Amino acid sequence: MSTWRSATGRRPPATGQVLAYTLLIALSLVVLVPIVWAVLSSFKTQAELAARPPSPLPASFAPTNYTEALRTFDFGVYLRNSVVVTVAATALTLVINTMAAYGLAKYNFRGRTVLFLVTLGTIMIPLQVILISVYEVAADLGLVNSLWGLIIPPAATPTGVFLLRQYMLGLPDELIEAARIDGAGEFRTFVRIIVPLCAPPLAVLAIFSVIWRWNDFLWPLIISQDQDKYTLPVALAQFDGQLVVPFNYILAMSVVSMIPVIVIFLVLQRHITRGIAATGLR
Amino acid sequence: MTAARTPWNIRVAPYLFVLPNMLIFGVFTIWPAINNVTISAYDSTNGRTFTYAGTSNYTELVRSADFWAAARATAIFAVCFVVLCTIGAIGLALLLDRRLRGRGAFRAIFFLPVLLSPVVVGLIWGWILDRRNGLANTLLGADVPWLVDGRLAMAAVVFVGLWTHLGFYALIILAGLQGIDPNHHAAAMIDGASAWQRLRYITLPLLRPTTMVVVILSMIAGFQAFDFIWTLTGGGPIGATTLMVQYIYQNAFQSPIRYGLAAAGSVILFCTVFGLTLINVLLDRRPA
Repeated sequence: MSTWRSATGRRPPATGQVLAYTLLIALSLVVLVPIVWAVLSSFKTQAELAARPPSPLPASFAPTNYTEALRTFDFGVYLRNSVVVTVAATALTLVINTMAAYGLAKYNFRGRTVLFLVTLGTIMIPLQVILISVYEVAADLGLVNSLWGLIIPPAATPTGVFLLRQYMLGLPDELIEAARIDGAGEFRTFVRIIVPLCAPPLAVLAIFSVIWRWNDFLWPLIISQDQDKYTLPVALAQFDGQLVVPFNYILAMSVVSMIPVIVIFLVLQRHITRGIAATGLR
Repeated sequence: MTAARTPWNIRVAPYLFVLPNMLIFGVFTIWPAINNVTISAYDSTNGRTFTYAGTSNYTELVRSADFWAAARATAIFAVCFVVLCTIGAIGLALLLDRRLRGRGAFRAIFFLPVLLSPVVVGLIWGWILDRRNGLANTLLGADVPWLVDGRLAMAAVVFVGLWTHLGFYALIILAGLQGIDPNHHAAAMIDGASAWQRLRYITLPLLRPTTMVVVILSMIAGFQAFDFIWTLTGGGPIGATTLMVQYIYQNAFQSPIRYGLAAAGSVILFCTVFGLTLINVLLDRRPA
């Protein structure tokens, strides 16, 4: 090992470190450039978008594309649909997944193992491979072309039940018994004692549910048949390539669709990384 | 506590807790999964009159060139995606595991694409890879037909898939790396093992369970790829990037509507994914 010391008392960087930084910075650019480019370009006019070579910065940072897209193309409706569906579906997911996880984690009842195995097994049955028959059921129940059809069917996520159940297994049974002795009902014990203790996994599930629902495409594409039921991703995909919707508006609405998840991620970053690290959740 | 002495409210409570979730589960996942097999035995005209067709949907699929094209494209995509995701995620995780300044920022950057809507990802990359007006060709000063040539389009689809998911898989591997007891490395260093030997004989074997998670998850994701491809290439040029899910979607929801055929396709897709996952799990159980 070298005995050389720099004036600041630090060792000179090893070649490995230099190489690591170079690679990471290069890869970061591959990730960041398209996103930054899209955000910058979302302020450009149609003429600027067509210019060759393209200029990196827009001529002005006026939010014209955003206001015009909202005014001309009902993007406000799609935005509202996305928000309503994401918020309602996430709330429903949290409530029913937590209840199911509690039932499976803290009670001994006939059929418990079967129900748990069935729940786990369905992680392997994603929507993509049973598309037609899920659509049939939704159609029979009158859920096609309604926001309920976007909210209810994907709400019972197996990953959420699994994550919460694993966490609840770690909570001491004495808490529940003490509450029972104090005369609290089963539901009251659940709401007052268990739910507050489950804040960490609930935060992770909430974040993931928001990301899943906000970005979901295939199911909304099938269920939303009229334009006034489109969510943002469906609207963006349907309008992409149509000359009636200029690409600068599409870009602006794409940027709008990125904002909520990025804000949520930045605020709750630590919970996400820790949660994924602990469960490998997807 | 014996069953007889358990108060009735404690006996009933678990069923009430599980009920709402299981109801939605049953109606929208379990029943459709079973029903899917039934539908695959029927033929329909534009989604209305159903007639029993036995296995004719399956034989029709096997004879259809479009089906084999989609199956082939799916296989190519899935193999490239799984291999590159696994190797890439291990590489990226090893980089992110080093003591570096701004490690947190790097991790956040690589996770960023995971958050974006696949539709938006496809839109942005489709625009960047546009032959005449795209940023890629402008920067390269070249005229590469990225999305016009079938092979390049498949490469672009694989690349964009990686771009979106690599950060997520790297994070899983990173968690695995951090679970490795540093004493193993310390002991090997005392024995004079080189960095490469430590990677080859300590890190990678100990990382095997985590690697398996990434292989399985990326495989399932690879076979289900649809949304970003839809906006990136639309399945083109001339079907070169039309994968199974898109093929099923087109049969089920675009004219001429063939529910039975689509359901048969999805039964085949499910069996493939399920079978491959099972093989992976069994191989993983086998002692090394």
